[in-house]
Amino acid sequence: MMFLDLANFYLIPGIVMGSIYAIGAIGITLVFSIMRHTNLAHGDMATFGAFSALALFSAIGISPYLVLPLATVIVGFLSIVIDWIFYEHLRNKPKILTTISSLGVGLMLRSVVQIIWGVNTTAYVTGINKPYKILGLKVKSTEIITLGVSAALVIILILFLNRNRWGKAMRAMSNSPDLALISGIDNRKVVALTWFVVGVLCCCAGFFLGINTELKSMMGWNILLPTIAAAILGGIGRIEGALVGGLIIGLIEEMSLMVIPAEYKAASSFVVLLLVLLLRPTGFFRSKII
Amino acid sequence: MDIISAFNYPVYLAIFICIYGCLAIGLNVQWGFAGLFNAGIAGFFAVGAYTTSILTSSDLPDRLGGFDLPVPVGILGAMILSGIVAWPVGKICLRFRGDYLAIVTIGFAEVVRLVVRSEHWLTGSTSGISNVPRPFGNLPYTQAQIAYLALTGGILFVAYLLIECQSVSPWGRIMRAIRDNEGAAAAMGKNIPFRRLQAFILGATLMGLGGALYAHLNRGVTPDAIDPMIASFLIWIMVILGGSGNNRGVLLGVMIVWIIWSASELMTDQLPTEIALQAKYGRIFLIGLMLQIVLRFRPEGLLPEPLSELRIRENKDSPPRDTVS
Amino acid sequence: MTAILTIKDIRGGYTEADILNGISMEVSRGEIVAIVGPNGAGKSTVMKAVFGLLKIRGGSIDFLGTDITGWSPNHIVQAGICYVPQVENIFTEMTVQENLEMGAFLRRGDLSAAYDRIYGLFPDLVSKRQVVSGSLSGGQRQMLAMGRALMLDPKVLLLDEPTAGLSPKYMEQIFQISRNIRDTGVAILLVEQHAKQALAFSDRGYILVAGTNRHHGTGQDLLTDHSVAEMFLGG
Ligand SMILES: Nc1ncnc2c1ncn2[C@@H]1O[C@H](COP(=O)(O)OP(=O)(O)OP(=O)(O)O)[C@@H](O)[C@H]1O
Ligand SMILES: [Mg+2]
Repeated sequence: MMFLDLANFYLIPGIVMGSIYAIGAIGITLVFSIMRHTNLAHGDMATFGAFSALALFSAIGISPYLVLPLATVIVGFLSIVIDWIFYEHLRNKPKILTTISSLGVGLMLRSVVQIIWGVNTTAYVTGINKPYKILGLKVKSTEIITLGVSAALVIILILFLNRNRWGKAMRAMSNSPDLALISGIDNRKVVALTWFVVGVLCCCAGFFLGINTELKSMMGWNILLPTIAAAILGGIGRIEGALVGGLIIGLIEEMSLMVIPAEYKAASSFVVLLLVLLLRPTGFFRSKII
Repeated sequence: MDIISAFNYPVYLAIFICIYGCLAIGLNVQWGFAGLFNAGIAGFFAVGAYTTSILTSSDLPDRLGGFDLPVPVGILGAMILSGIVAWPVGKICLRFRGDYLAIVTIGFAEVVRLVVRSEHWLTGSTSGISNVPRPFGNLPYTQAQIAYLALTGGILFVAYLLIECQSVSPWGRIMRAIRDNEGAAAAMGKNIPFRRLQAFILGATLMGLGGALYAHLNRGVTPDAIDPMIASFLIWIMVILGGSGNNRGVLLGVMIVWIIWSASELMTDQLPTEIALQAKYGRIFLIGLMLQIVLRFRPEGLLPEPLSELRIRENKDSPPRDTVS
Repeated sequence: MTAILTIKDIRGGYTEADILNGISMEVSRGEIVAIVGPNGAGKSTVMKAVFGLLKIRGGSIDFLGTDITGWSPNHIVQAGICYVPQVENIFTEMTVQENLEMGAFLRRGDLSAAYDRIYGLFPDLVSKRQVVSGSLSGGQRQMLAMGRALMLDPKVLLLDEPTAGLSPKYMEQIFQISRNIRDTGVAILLVEQHAKQALAFSDRGYILVAGTNRHHGTGQDLLTDHSVAEMFLGG
């Protein structure tokens, strides 16, 4: 049946990848709205998260999902430390210098992964993950969990930003850093908090990428471009935009396989990015900052 | 070991310094003069290397070309094509704040890498293109190296002189004015995106030149030669360490960084093979770290551009709020 | 009356050049003090210097007997000085209520009494509680900006041109509210473009020219002083 094939081969993988991009893109958007630079180390932070979960899993065992919370905390604190060592001194300089620095941080993280875990492809659990059949749709348990956890993360984050005092402080600082300072909001604490949240999101993106595909040292670098494309497509600075942008990029990438050879799958998000910049640089949801 | 071959290693180093010199001056035109963050240097390098390889290698049945053209034609073609591909990239991104150019150039370099790896009819995919002629290639090894050094050194010198003239010309002054104070330059009626595009394309042609010289040196090019991040990174560090905006500083940066990089390779080669992989990636880690150290302790470089404080100055009181123009 | 805020001979600027060339001012409990002067005289700069947003190179700032020179804005807010800048003085993407909440960021616990007080001072804002503040009118924005700064019960309120761009009706309203605020014991130091009206309603005034305070006195004295009137107030 036509629709079922479409759904099984393109839509489901597209939505799963899309939700991974979405989590990453929300991180990109948070960094951009609060620190005002593009975090080019984002993908490699995700790689690092995926591999730290692997290390914890092989040490503790039981289930990879069980170690995920611990891994997210590790990457969260790592992000704060990275900011503290490499980005903080650039805060009052042109933002592009921080962007450059983040590219270097990405390279460093990637080589750390390569030194510790090597360059070969691995997986959390080996063996075939048999899909369930629901009304003819084939879905794997990993895919269901990915979607569930991503949705939960997004809901928690939105609630946090709208209900919590510190979440509101993050929005305030994104809106006007000077006025936030004047209001007595400690900008440095907000920055640290933001990096922690970003680290958690990165780690989840890397983990779910690893669990749905495979783990390798380049995995994060390879999703950097689609992730940023998703953030721009949705409108930089907009959480809901990053979510929609991520899903669209995921779907486009998978659907592109119908018309272009698989080697160029990675190029499809680049084409989307160029089209967005040409046609609607503020993205779907009218970026607040560009 | 005779006297002449004792020179082999320094000559080999020097050839690479000249090739990287072209790339670094190209980046200096983009970043140092115009403030454009091109993170996809490897993409332009590859376009240059493959263009000249296709143009000058001998004919092969299953591949486009080779056209057996003379080397100067190949090099010129490489420069022109690099400039041509830079045009749409710059055209699309230069209207926006700097990060967008970084993102799109990273994407560009990745797409070039995909094409290089997948399009056998064009690039020979994984096996690459071989039998690219090498100028003075039929001399004995040492003389050939020295002759090639003379060639690349001459080309670098000419490039340096031309760019140096440009930078002190009104064009160079306008570029720096735009970089340092976009608002004021716009108010003076300067067409900023167009000027930036000029600098971007000019820089890209020099990167293509570097790629072409590299291909002729190696008598060919393979996808492994263009590991995107390492090539781009080394050049970034060379430019920032040397002193962005100052061509002499940049060349100094090329020498220092390339010598450190090669020396570290000599050292890691001594290590046992079990840790060869770690050593390789350890060196890459160090490049990333080196960039951070330069950004932290010497952001204006060893030989700063005169008046470059304008550029790295604290801009706390006037945070850039670039908007879509 | 003893001064609660004393600015003594401060100097400083954004670059090497000094914009403030030795400015001295005093503000006492329960008074409104106006700073007037031509554009670019350094009026806003004085406010930024007091609030710790600008490093000063000389002089001192004393608040309630404590030397607060060089303190960070964060600490100055905690000490009891709040500031409404001339521009960008509300969080345009947050609701009115959230703006007030951010104003009270340093205070934990129940804010309902503080909200009631602010909405009592600015009844116009009550119906806008849940409105995104970017859509407010100019006068309402100014009220919100003042409300935000008052959430922490400051002892001194710094207002930079609270009536800029407002209609005379709104201006009168803002002045009236300022008096009400003063009557609750808050000292107000404000910068004003509308020099005559400001001096008329303030208790005292300073006239600032080229980074120094040329004249000061009660608002009425300055208004009636002929040389001042001729030079700075347009006759
Ligand atoms: N962020 C800044 N960086 C550098 N110079 C500044 C900055 N802000 C103000 N200046 C300069 O400081 C001087 C005093 O400015 P200030 O804003 O204090 O004037 P003002 O008296 O408040 O004027 P206005 O009535 O127009 O608000 C001016 O010459 C101005 O150009
Ligand atoms: Mg002012």
